[in-house]
Amino acid sequence: MRRLGAGIGLRAPHYADFLGARPAVGWVEVHAENYFGAGGLDLHVLERVRAELPVSLHGVGLGLGSAEGYSGAHVARLKALVDRIEPALVSEHLCWNAGLGRHFNDLFPLPRTREALELAAGRVMHLQEALGRQVLVENLSAYVEFPDSEMSEGEFIAELARRAGCGVLLDVNNLYVNQINHGISALAQMEHLDSVNEIHLAGHSIGEHCLIDTHGDRVADEVWRLYDAALDRFGPLPTLIEWDTDIPPFEVLLGEAAKAELRMKGRHALAA
Amino acid sequence: MPSLLELQQGFASRILQPDGDPGLAVYRNNIHENCAKALAGAYPIVRKIVGESFFDRLARDYSRAHPSTCGDLNSYGALMPRFVADYAGTQDVPYLPDVARMEWLAHLAYYAADPRPFEIPVLAKLPENPPLRLAPSCALLRSDWPLARLWEVHQDEFAGEFSVGFDAGIEHILIHRPAWRVQVRPITLGDFRFLAGAGRGETLGAALEAACELDAGFDASTALATWVQAKAVTL
Repeated sequence: MRRLGAGIGLRAPHYADFLGARPAVGWVEVHAENYFGAGGLDLHVLERVRAELPVSLHGVGLGLGSAEGYSGAHVARLKALVDRIEPALVSEHLCWNAGLGRHFNDLFPLPRTREALELAAGRVMHLQEALGRQVLVENLSAYVEFPDSEMSEGEFIAELARRAGCGVLLDVNNLYVNQINHGISALAQMEHLDSVNEIHLAGHSIGEHCLIDTHGDRVADEVWRLYDAALDRFGPLPTLIEWDTDIPPFEVLLGEAAKAELRMKGRHALAA
Repeated sequence: MPSLLELQQGFASRILQPDGDPGLAVYRNNIHENCAKALAGAYPIVRKIVGESFFDRLARDYSRAHPSTCGDLNSYGALMPRFVADYAGTQDVPYLPDVARMEWLAHLAYYAADPRPFEIPVLAKLPENPPLRLAPSCALLRSDWPLARLWEVHQDEFAGEFSVGFDAGIEHILIHRPAWRVQVRPITLGDFRFLAGAGRGETLGAALEAACELDAGFDASTALATWVQAKAVTL
């Protein structure tokens, strides 16, 4: 795949900015579920943007690791969108989100057990088969840990990628949030991964008891430093600035994306 | 070791019954905010009418009574019209359930398949009495309340006088999305019957005849052109 560089999210408050002139970013990412409708403005804008920029479809609602409540209908709707948009990348979270007959519409961390690994690997393989393409799976930020976990986050996602043949979307902010919340080493988690296909960067907020992955601020300095380490290990990668709450003016997003681009170029030049 | 299902069910139970764990509280808060945001997106006028803090409580209670069962939150909230009708504190706003009905239909119209581009039907090529179809981005509603005006005065860009007359009697409205914006307009009883017929796949003749029977003022000669041009009806 040609080099995508830094990208930003396509969010409704910025539709006019995107339609005005082609923004100076390499690609855009959207939450797939926001475009599950049969028609309407959102799809229209996405198709217009897609004509100019590569698009990544990032699912937030499938719940690859849900022991109950996994929805084939959700997969079918994602497939219809993939067929329509022909995205450059498709990703989902390594999480679960349903149970007791209901859907929680959030991203719950998995107990990293062999059983969970087996279930997730089967689901990812089935999803890739249904979509006819590779899917990237993203590591999560978490506010609780299951004491039953049998392996570390890095081991879990690396083994999933090996078994299912999927790619990895490394969320560096999530690793940092977990480092603070659970005392793991973000760098050590990266060491488990052989390769990464996409990186997410975002801001977090400092809660009373833990860091919260709000996607509502600029990327923190510590996260930029981990990003540098990720670039050193995995090379330049499509990097997304995620911003979902308190969405800032368009220029702020472009500024954060430019920072990522600069770091990628700097690291790349050093390596070369 | 407990199975994955047992671990997840245990976690889910703890989410549903607050236990003071600060980590779980973050998830509980996320879930509430995600559902409340989805409901506020689908019901902006209800929210304006009852106010933000009342709506937040309404959303919390709705989510308890009718938890989400779908990974797509844009499909969440269909049961709000009934829920709001029985909800304590809304009885002095008797039109609220119908406003919610209108907003849910508008929400569906927003995400519905786009209407096909307007084409003048080539009458010579049509069967003599073709079946009609209502565009997927259209819906009809009958109410005792002035819904079209309530819709109009609660639009963000509305700059006119904020007044609504509540004594006009039964109103028929068409909720539709000819392009990207959903519109709500009052229509005559005859047009309502004609469009409802189209929605049921009636033939042109049957829909026109029924509309004429119901509404002496119905203008059968222009109805077809009007509604085809408005991209509400296709042949």
